[in-house]
Amino acid sequence: MQQEQSAAVHLERVTKNFGHITANREVTFTLKEGSIHGLLGENGAGKTTLMNILFGLHKPDEGKIFVNGSEQHIENPTDAMNLGIGMVHQHFMLVKPMTVTENIMLGMKSEKAPLLDKNRVREDILKLSKKYGFKINPDERIQDISVGSQQRVEILTAIYRGSKVLILDEPTAVLTPSEVEELFEILTQLKKEGQSVILISHKLEEILSITDEVTILRNGENAGTTAIDTSVTKEELSRLMIGRDVLFDFEKSEVPLGKAELEVNNISAVNERGVQILSDMSFEIREGEILGMAGVDGNGQKELCEVLTGLRKIDGGEILVGGEPMHGTSPMNYIRKGVFHIPEDRQRSGLALGWWIEDNLIIKNYFSDRFSGKMLLNRKAIHEVGEKAVQDYNIKAPNSRVAVKNLSGGNQQKVILARELGEHPKVLIANQPTRGLDVGAMEYVRQKILDQKTEGTAILLVSADLEEIYQLSDRIAVIYNGTLMGIVENDADVQEVGLMMAGIKAKREN
Amino acid sequence: MGSILSEGFFISLLAGTIRISIPILFAALGEIYTQRSGILNLGIEGIMIIGALSGFVGTFFTGSLLVGLLSAMFFGFLYSLIMGFLSITIKANQVIAGTALSILGASLASFLYRVIFGVRKLPPTIKTFSDLDLGFLSRIPVLGPILFRHNIMVYLALALVLVTWFVLEKTTFGLKVKAVGEYPRAADSKGVHVNLIRYICVSIGGVYAGLGGAFLSIGFMNTYMDHMIAGRGFIAVAVVIFSRWNPYRALTAALIFGGANALQMRLQSIGVEIPNQLLLSLPYILTILVLVGVSKKAEFPAAFTIPYSREEK
Amino acid sequence: MKDNLVKLKSFQEDALASILAILSAFFVCGLMLAFIGHNPFAAYGALFRGAFGNTHKIAETLVKTIPILLMALGTSIAFKCKIWNIGGNGQYTFGAITSIAVGLYLDLPPIILLPITFIAAVLGGLLIGGFVGVLKAKLNANEVITTLMLDYIMLYILSYMVNGPMMDPEGFGFPQTPILPEGLRLMTVIPGTRLHFGIVIAVVMMVLTIYFWKSKLGFRIRLVGEDQDVALYSGIHVPKHLIMTMMISAGFAALAGWVEVFGLHHRLQENLAGNLGSIAFVVALLGRLNPIGIGIGALFFAALSVGGASMQRYEGVPYSLVGIIQGLVIIFVISKVVYERKKEKTIG
Repeated sequence: MQQEQSAAVHLERVTKNFGHITANREVTFTLKEGSIHGLLGENGAGKTTLMNILFGLHKPDEGKIFVNGSEQHIENPTDAMNLGIGMVHQHFMLVKPMTVTENIMLGMKSEKAPLLDKNRVREDILKLSKKYGFKINPDERIQDISVGSQQRVEILTAIYRGSKVLILDEPTAVLTPSEVEELFEILTQLKKEGQSVILISHKLEEILSITDEVTILRNGENAGTTAIDTSVTKEELSRLMIGRDVLFDFEKSEVPLGKAELEVNNISAVNERGVQILSDMSFEIREGEILGMAGVDGNGQKELCEVLTGLRKIDGGEILVGGEPMHGTSPMNYIRKGVFHIPEDRQRSGLALGWWIEDNLIIKNYFSDRFSGKMLLNRKAIHEVGEKAVQDYNIKAPNSRVAVKNLSGGNQQKVILARELGEHPKVLIANQPTRGLDVGAMEYVRQKILDQKTEGTAILLVSADLEEIYQLSDRIAVIYNGTLMGIVENDADVQEVGLMMAGIKAKREN
Repeated sequence: MGSILSEGFFISLLAGTIRISIPILFAALGEIYTQRSGILNLGIEGIMIIGALSGFVGTFFTGSLLVGLLSAMFFGFLYSLIMGFLSITIKANQVIAGTALSILGASLASFLYRVIFGVRKLPPTIKTFSDLDLGFLSRIPVLGPILFRHNIMVYLALALVLVTWFVLEKTTFGLKVKAVGEYPRAADSKGVHVNLIRYICVSIGGVYAGLGGAFLSIGFMNTYMDHMIAGRGFIAVAVVIFSRWNPYRALTAALIFGGANALQMRLQSIGVEIPNQLLLSLPYILTILVLVGVSKKAEFPAAFTIPYSREEK
Repeated sequence: MKDNLVKLKSFQEDALASILAILSAFFVCGLMLAFIGHNPFAAYGALFRGAFGNTHKIAETLVKTIPILLMALGTSIAFKCKIWNIGGNGQYTFGAITSIAVGLYLDLPPIILLPITFIAAVLGGLLIGGFVGVLKAKLNANEVITTLMLDYIMLYILSYMVNGPMMDPEGFGFPQTPILPEGLRLMTVIPGTRLHFGIVIAVVMMVLTIYFWKSKLGFRIRLVGEDQDVALYSGIHVPKHLIMTMMISAGFAALAGWVEVFGLHHRLQENLAGNLGSIAFVVALLGRLNPIGIGIGALFFAALSVGGASMQRYEGVPYSLVGIIQGLVIIFVISKVVYERKKEKTIG
């Protein structure tokens, strides 16, 4: 105990709740000085929350924090930085149009106050950069340098401000393989210089290659801590990370599959900056079939869904719905053809937050005969549908004329479900449909998706939650870096899927 | 009909250009701070008229032009605090808030003027800043009258161009302002007080706009009149956008407007056959043209008009 | 029915915020008046009597309501789409100029000509609105600046016209156009007053606007204003709708110009629009972008304008107090609205 508490950082039985969601439950974590310690877990396991607590962005509801043996109360990032804790977030805290030097100078005391001390800081940056092999040019603007370089600027900033403990949140999520190698060299160098590093990740390869120890979190709780040596296998880590517990047991009736409703042939897409985001993807989904698309966030899922609903253009290949080519047509055309979409970010694009429930329900079909005459909307009909949806979907609201922004996340999602499922969709694109929901709402949404299957809808279920994929899918596809890694049956080995999600192709090539 | 091409005409035109551009220049420089920090202050028009009135009143009752200047700065500052409060603390819509303050300012100034001076047959006047005599500089042929015979407020405005550039580019404060306007969350994470910086920038804008209004009443004309700002505050906002928040480009833009106005006045006085309304509308047409030309590519500060609060996730 | 109660309740809450704003503005101005030695109650009394004291005065108030109502409706349509069209004056002026030009220089029997002038005015509004809309949608030009600049440009064009090409040759050099012949004027609704048919037009437009928001196009425009991302997601062509909205908004303002010229002034003069633009802005916000609220607000501000003149004449209170009330009203409205928003809680 004593030994643990005098470690570089020791978190003891930390608990953090957001409303009725428990992000961390009695989590204990120890960082030994001069080591690289991995924090492993799936999306939503509680890794970022735990580190945000250490960095002063959240306050724990229970538990203690020890830094170098003494208990601390970290109220804000400045406190954390004063204790020598630095953090590199997933979204870099860098001002794009400003230079590296300017970003590092921001908020720091200047020797020549009130004037900026650009030259001295420049010199310091060059010295540090050389020492650790960062290869940073202090005069370049953030928007002009590569993502890998930007990350190094963040690391350098932390070190420059005197960090002894460096937290990196999913640092390789945005790097190319060669940049990842560079990053690991830097981390090794940092370790030699006495830095202690916490590496948050969900990627097994990285944990195995660079960390000395790893703590695994699952569903907000500790799931194990182990030293990394040659005896540790990916399979072992994967099992600890994903677990074998089955939370929900669903009624899955056997539904005869029909013809292919959605066909995607060799589609590719390039984004506004010329970066390839989808490469040569092909798959089909039949009537009554759920194709699960597993994958870690940020591997092209958002773009894939946009492409399949007309919100983004493809640069190659074709998309067919019910046999008809759809690529190149407008979003309205997709809607008219019966393609409905549960968007990833319900608050940003799925719901008009200031509007009533019943109005949100009809944004895609207000023009149909049911809801409007020749010129005017039929408010009575709209209201009836609204009330029915509130009842059918058990939406916690006094009536359908409540502004959607006043509903909880789960109930907001129900509004979207009611809308997207209400029109007997031929194709349903469900993107992270249970993200951010509590257990009850999750169960509800999953059951509804299964019900839709029995109606003969072809469903694409995109989710970062493997458990969900397994529960609901008939077949499982894995997307990594905009490419389809493979499609397997729903009784495929979890490890195999997990490995594909991490970018490692299955050993057996068919 | 005087010759349009005479040397005297040009000298007078260029000197007039500088003089007439000053109110817009003052207001635009202040608005550069404000917009750079992420706030769109459309209340400049209102602040300028308040500045014009307070400058005039201050000078009229104390006989001191300095007092006039200081009171314009003070009341410009006070009035801009309202905009700050509405935009930053209340987080209201900045377009509406600013426009409301411009409407309010015009009426408030008119009202106060009547209350203070009552209705008079002849408008009360003061003695404005006199043109400086800068020794041999003022006597240089051609350049002398154009550049070196203005009153002190003109030189103050020109000096502020430099000062503004310097503060924004070379001080820690300037760096914070730019960061706050681009990515307030990043600035916050580095210990910068986002809202305090914004309040300061809105206040600077108010002080400068007050000076701009005062120039019209005590530096150029010698009295106050309703509607004397005539949209210059809004032109200043546009100038800031299409000078892409750079003080030197703002100076150039202000001079162009000044030039159009000066040209109109002089052409009219020598009886040239161009309808003066067309010339009067030149600055406004120019504003639209340039704004359109720039807007597609203009890189607004990323956090422009978006209020900031440290949300817990 | 329970649901109608919900609708009524939100309308009530909106109305309450606006009424509170007005009362606060009057209160603050009352304090100011007291501070400088006027009796606020006497002043406000003169204000009220000046607007509603007798039939003639009521008619005058209604006359003033007409352009305010029309312009504020137009402004509210743009605002609902989050398009900040504050250049109603310029659009009004353009509508007035085009329609008078057609009316004076086209030789047709009045029965045909009058409707043609109406169309000319509306087309003028659509044109100028389309111009601003395209600049915004395609070139990202800030509509606050473009519409404001057009205000001044139109002001000068009007000045040029009435001092030059359109000047009345028999007008002794006054800057104004020839007067419209009797046949080309809107009929008087209450004999002996200036109240003309425009009041009917204004009320009709108010009712039409109520139905407009219940229409499919109105629905789409509201969605674009509420959230452009959601509008895109639901299949709406956003730039097209931005342009359309701006056109409709300007059309209303141009119509206001036509109504004023053909119903009241019967000729063009300098600075015809006066401060209508800023009043329309205030009324649109005060009425919470709701046509009926705007109707009431327009009446209220017309009363302020008309009564304000009495207040100045009989109590010596400067007319600009009216403008101060206007400005304060907006400030209080937006402060209260945000305060309301902050109080809302999450259900479920």
